[in-house]
Amino acid sequence: MKHSTLTAIAVTLSVVTGAHADWAQTQNEAKGQTVYFNAWGGSEATNAYIAWAVKEAKARYGIDVRHVKITDSAEVVKRVQTEVAAGRTTEGSIDLTWVNGENFRNLKNGGLLFGPWAQSLPNWGLVDLNKPVRTDFSVPTDGYESPWGTAQLTFITDSAKTPAPPRSATELLAFAKANPGRVSYPKPPDFHGTTFVKQLLLELTPDKAVLQQAVTPAAFASATQPLWAYLDQLHPSLWRNGKTFATSAAEMHRMLGDGELKLSITFNPNEAANLIASKQLPSTATSFGFTGGTIGNVHFVAIPVNARAKAGAQVFANFLLSAEAQTRKADVTVWGDGTVLDVAKLPAASQALLRKTAPGALAEAVPTLPEPHASWVEALEAEWLKHYGSR
Amino acid sequence: MLTIKNLRISHAGKSGKPLFSGLSLAVDPGEVVTITGVSGSGKSTLLNWMIGDLDPNFKATGELWLNDVRCDTLPIEARHMGLLFQDDLLFPHLSVGQNMAFALPARICGAKVRRQRVEQTLSSMGLADFHDRDPATLSGGQRARVSLMRTLLAEPQALLLDEPFSKLDAVLRTQFRAFVFEQIERQGIPTLLVTHDPADVPQGGRVIDISDWQHSHV
Amino acid sequence: MAQTLRLTLERPLPRPAQSWTWTPRLWLAVLPVLLIFGPLLPGLYWALAPAFDAEVWQALWLDAQWPQALRATMISSVLSTVLACAIAALLATLHYPGRLWTRLQRRLPLLLSVPHAAFAVGMFFLIAPSGWMARATAQFLQWTSPPDWVTVQDPYGLSLTLALAIKESWFLLWVLAAVLGEQAVSRQMVMGRSLGYSRTQTWALILWPQLLPRLVWPVMAVFAYGLSVVDMAVILGPSTPPTLAVLIWHWLTDPDPMFQARGSAASLVLLAVLLVCAAGARGLGWLWIRRRPYPSGQRTPASNWRWFKLHSLLFATGYAVVAVLLLWSVAQGWFFPALLPDAVSLASWQQADWTPFWTTLWLALAACLLCLPAVLLWLEWGPKRLNALLYLPLIVPALPLVAGQYAVLLQTQLDGTAVALVWSHLLWVLPYMVLTLIGPYRAFDARLMTSARALGNSPWRACLSVKWPMLLRPILATLAVGFAVSVAQYLPTLFAGGGRFVTVTTEAVALSAGGNRRVLAVQALLQIALPLAAFGLAAAAGHWLGRHRTGLR
Repeated sequence: MKHSTLTAIAVTLSVVTGAHADWAQTQNEAKGQTVYFNAWGGSEATNAYIAWAVKEAKARYGIDVRHVKITDSAEVVKRVQTEVAAGRTTEGSIDLTWVNGENFRNLKNGGLLFGPWAQSLPNWGLVDLNKPVRTDFSVPTDGYESPWGTAQLTFITDSAKTPAPPRSATELLAFAKANPGRVSYPKPPDFHGTTFVKQLLLELTPDKAVLQQAVTPAAFASATQPLWAYLDQLHPSLWRNGKTFATSAAEMHRMLGDGELKLSITFNPNEAANLIASKQLPSTATSFGFTGGTIGNVHFVAIPVNARAKAGAQVFANFLLSAEAQTRKADVTVWGDGTVLDVAKLPAASQALLRKTAPGALAEAVPTLPEPHASWVEALEAEWLKHYGSR
Repeated sequence: MLTIKNLRISHAGKSGKPLFSGLSLAVDPGEVVTITGVSGSGKSTLLNWMIGDLDPNFKATGELWLNDVRCDTLPIEARHMGLLFQDDLLFPHLSVGQNMAFALPARICGAKVRRQRVEQTLSSMGLADFHDRDPATLSGGQRARVSLMRTLLAEPQALLLDEPFSKLDAVLRTQFRAFVFEQIERQGIPTLLVTHDPADVPQGGRVIDISDWQHSHV
Repeated sequence: MAQTLRLTLERPLPRPAQSWTWTPRLWLAVLPVLLIFGPLLPGLYWALAPAFDAEVWQALWLDAQWPQALRATMISSVLSTVLACAIAALLATLHYPGRLWTRLQRRLPLLLSVPHAAFAVGMFFLIAPSGWMARATAQFLQWTSPPDWVTVQDPYGLSLTLALAIKESWFLLWVLAAVLGEQAVSRQMVMGRSLGYSRTQTWALILWPQLLPRLVWPVMAVFAYGLSVVDMAVILGPSTPPTLAVLIWHWLTDPDPMFQARGSAASLVLLAVLLVCAAGARGLGWLWIRRRPYPSGQRTPASNWRWFKLHSLLFATGYAVVAVLLLWSVAQGWFFPALLPDAVSLASWQQADWTPFWTTLWLALAACLLCLPAVLLWLEWGPKRLNALLYLPLIVPALPLVAGQYAVLLQTQLDGTAVALVWSHLLWVLPYMVLTLIGPYRAFDARLMTSARALGNSPWRACLSVKWPMLLRPILATLAVGFAVSVAQYLPTLFAGGGRFVTVTTEAVALSAGGNRRVLAVQALLQIALPLAAFGLAAAAGHWLGRHRTGLR
């Protein structure tokens, strides 16, 4: 008995010290590396936070992170695919990428990701495992991506002009008909637009359970039939009669500020607060969600299989997962993106910071609906484009 | 009868330095008056004013009368003055005949009739089958003659010649000069000739040096 | 600089009999050009080869987006070219020769230095439903929210057409100004009028028939640009579906090789459209010449059109664009329908990201400085007959060329490097620099060179100490042009840079999809500032360096 305990302790110790030794080696390797971090650049708050993280990474770990702004993670998938297909298996142009959902699935299934590595990060111990950090749109991550933050689909409106915003899909339809030309959403495959469509699907579909499994043509047809019927009714009342759509969520915020639209969409419940602070929205802007809940997810960072600076990428990812970085990220005056860490494991000061609120941010607790399976995304986007992609 | 009354051309702008002032001149029909002077003395500027194309860097006061019609207030196209430069300026995109037909007055109407007229004129110059030729294929002397006839076909009431012979060689020069003066005499048009070559002056023609009107004081 | 272009558009001199001996000097001249153009050939093959597959064409045919994309492209490019020509022609006919024309000419370089993307951004700020014009109208009509006008990103590409037409009309005016500066032309005008025809008639009967053939290549360049423009189309053009050029760009950068092949096939369609339209225009021109009636001698009196202040409108647009950009760059909270910002501050400038600016600066400097020796060597010792080949990148739509470059870079694993980025820009900087310099170069008095050689100098020394220093002003102008061209490049930066390098142009286009107009305005203004500074520097340097030598100025 003593033997086995001792052995167990020894093994654990060796594993732990081994892991520590491994990590020390990784950190050493990372020093001086240049890490190309491809991340969506459509929000100034996000970009400012990443700029801060870049500075910290340089100061603490000596890694030179470059934020490559992209409009859609699908571009990353394309780039890695092309590079690997062209035989570029070691000197890839992307070292770390902000990704989730169907893009992650495409990368993983294509064998285009390095890993597993996420669970060997020192800060993995802080992660709240009750959050869906190990499956991404029902696809298991298997340690190929490291969680970064949480997001929830949130709507923004100007409370001065719209005191009673719609709180469900049906109310939205009525609202759009009452305010013709004042509602829009970004065109899929923009991920805000896709998520909006997914949100409607979740509310309108008869059997929600089927969405959590891989898509089949039969299931798709029956599940999405009410969605297309709804959209057919909705589109004529939309901005530009649904013939053109807003270019991006950021553009929708601007249109909301000018009064061209009455509603805007974001993934960040604190986006409105950020925008009010930077005077891009009037101070009467507020965030709200649907009473039945809105889609929420966890977003991750992943390392392509042909990344040049794998060590640097891991060190940076670990930093992003640290208590300090996560707290600052969740600070509503900085970015306001939800943390993936277990709040109980954080110091008290951080916990207080996480409870800060700002005018315009989402004040109510909106239930989180789970994302459908990743395979539904592409099917939805393709079908949407077929129905509404051109006149 | 071409008359200039009290012409003063000076530089526009504050300095207002005059090129010449107090120039008065009368040219009888069929007479060729030659204006000479050193380079840069304003001979071409004088002609430009007369045709109506004075450079905006100059300003002018004075009157121009042609056959009892005051011309200096009219645009170029209303003055009925013919012009000949050193370059023949035949329009390269038109044939020789079309160049000449361009100048023919509109009262000769009908393409056939106009063409006939042009061909007649060409024959009389010794260029009988040149109607459809490209002007670029003509020799220097031929082009000069076509250019003159084109100007004359427009039935101008006065003729201004700005060093028209200077680009021709000695032999051609004599021939063309004689041709020009013959045409002028035949049509009885008052003509002003600007040149710096004294050999260009016609027999017994008046010669005026522009420096007569250029005083050292204002 | 107008003089340089005028000399370029002159009729070609009769070619001397040339014997081709591959002297080392010829190699020296040809090598840089080969380096720039050469890799394009295999690149084009790799890029366009996937398109030679029936399935790809079938997929393209079945794709629901191409008919409207093609329609938008055709409307925007054909209509904008025609409009630009009409505007330039109208202005020339109305105001040449005259004081206004000289004034117009002097102000053109200022307007020309506004790059396309910045101009599109400014137009967007002006004519969008929440733009300045709508706000001005809202003040009168008491609107509280923006009207439901489709003034930008309309499905037929009309706003894109308008912006293209205005921008290209300045370019065509500049070309026209160069040609009209010739004494022969002004004398023809006087001659025509002395024969009794009014200005407009002289223009129609004498000047236009001669000038139009000389404007064929600039007009074709304008048309090719309109066909392949992506940055302006992203900002002002339709989005569902976008113009064909934008569609091709999306397809070429798509992960799926099927879509990439479709993009290649569509690039070939663009090329075909160019050829068909060019042939059609040629045919129309030929017909028009054939059916020219015999000169009837009809003289119609001049009609007074001078009240039509088209030039004011044109220039006002240019100034308005810059003004609205300036306003947005200093605005703090500016919502519809306010005519002026609620508050002004320099915050946007202080917080601005200057990285794109510096990147653009070193990139453009590298491009124009590298090109200059190549241009000089080519013009001096290069085969003169092959000049037309150098101009190809100007009259061929940019997309297939960029795709070819990208294919080469991928194969050599050089994409995303600074070297590759500079190299990709050279393909467009070189032709423009040659175009700008060839006129003065050809007009250089050959006897000066002979004298220099007779004094015992080698050709090399003669060039270095006599010819090139004497061509100082044209060379400086050429450098400025090359600089401006590099600043304005969009697609090469995106493809060859692999998304690693952000220039003010790519940043401006990327930001145009976002909602923050202030940041966008700052980047657009930076984009304008760079070529403006280059032209100003070139002019100042020319004056200063020639301060003791009147003959150089």
